[in-house]
Amino acid sequence: MALELHPLEQFKIAPLIPIHIGGLDVSYTNSALFMTIAVALITALLVLGTRRGALVPGRWQSIAEMSYEFVADMVETNAGHGAEPYFPFVFTLFMFVLFSNLLGLIPYSYTVTSQIIVTFALAATVFIGVTIVGFIKHGVRFGRLFVPEGVPILLLFLLVPIELLSYFIRPFTLSIRLFANMLAGHTMLAIFGGFAASVGLLAIFPVLLDVAIYALEILVAALQAYVFAILTCLYLRDALHLH
Amino acid sequence: MSEERPPDELARLGARLDQLRPKGDAPAGDGDAGQQQALAVGFRIGIEFVVAIGVAMGLGWAFDRVLGTRPFGMIVFFFLGVAAGMLSVYRAITGQSAAVGFRPRQRKD
Repeated sequence: MALELHPLEQFKIAPLIPIHIGGLDVSYTNSALFMTIAVALITALLVLGTRRGALVPGRWQSIAEMSYEFVADMVETNAGHGAEPYFPFVFTLFMFVLFSNLLGLIPYSYTVTSQIIVTFALAATVFIGVTIVGFIKHGVRFGRLFVPEGVPILLLFLLVPIELLSYFIRPFTLSIRLFANMLAGHTMLAIFGGFAASVGLLAIFPVLLDVAIYALEILVAALQAYVFAILTCLYLRDALHLH
Repeated sequence: MSEERPPDELARLGARLDQLRPKGDAPAGDGDAGQQQALAVGFRIGIEFVVAIGVAMGLGWAFDRVLGTRPFGMIVFFFLGVAAGMLSVYRAITGQSAAVGFRPRQRKD
């Protein structure tokens, strides 16, 4: 029995409601659907969770408050003082990535963050935003970020390009890290699931392995959202507190 | 269970909570939070080096295409990429965050 494996089929983008505007394909896709679901769930959690505003929080209020405090704490310790105005952005980013990652783990759902264009759009927003903040706060002096202090002039010819490069790879590392982790995890799950379907009684082994990978993927989903948000904070600190 | 309680009881509860809560929310290196932070750092730097070289070589290739200097741009950018990758990994693990640029040694915030 030849069972064909398609571990990458889960990442296919399928238009649900075809929309074409002036030759541009802006169809509402399965990817967009799960982004909408993520946003709706986050909004529901925060709005409904904090609606009662009880002194002793219930379950949902607890979750809403914990996520708020978690991110608020992260912004304060990692981005330093003066970063409070950027808390809403970091919080939104964290919740969106977290919910997209976790939603993707539900069978038959779609993992938005396994698309590099999605993660790159998020990372580019962070990168461009942080750069603009840096220039607004420090003006031209922001360029000093690339000029190390106390270094002989000759070495600067070597060091400035290196510093520039390590600044401009940020959006790439930020997006590729998230995208690669999600893509690899889900592909692995699908491959072992495919094995299980094709080996009869022996299927217990790939299934057990899938259970283990699934547990790991839950950790990775939360951790990647955390890493994404914390790096945003660190980049923000660079822009706010020029040394 | 009413929500209107005498405030002094609340204050006492707050004081007790403060007492029981360990000082400093995330002590690096021990406990669950520390372990998670270590994991986060691991995930962070794992890809940094590879992507730095990849992006640098892509840039080198682009330069070569525009200036017609094949293959020197790619070679130069490869080494720049290695240096940039090493630098960001070094900074990530020495706790200088992802900061670009060196920091004066005496100031620590």
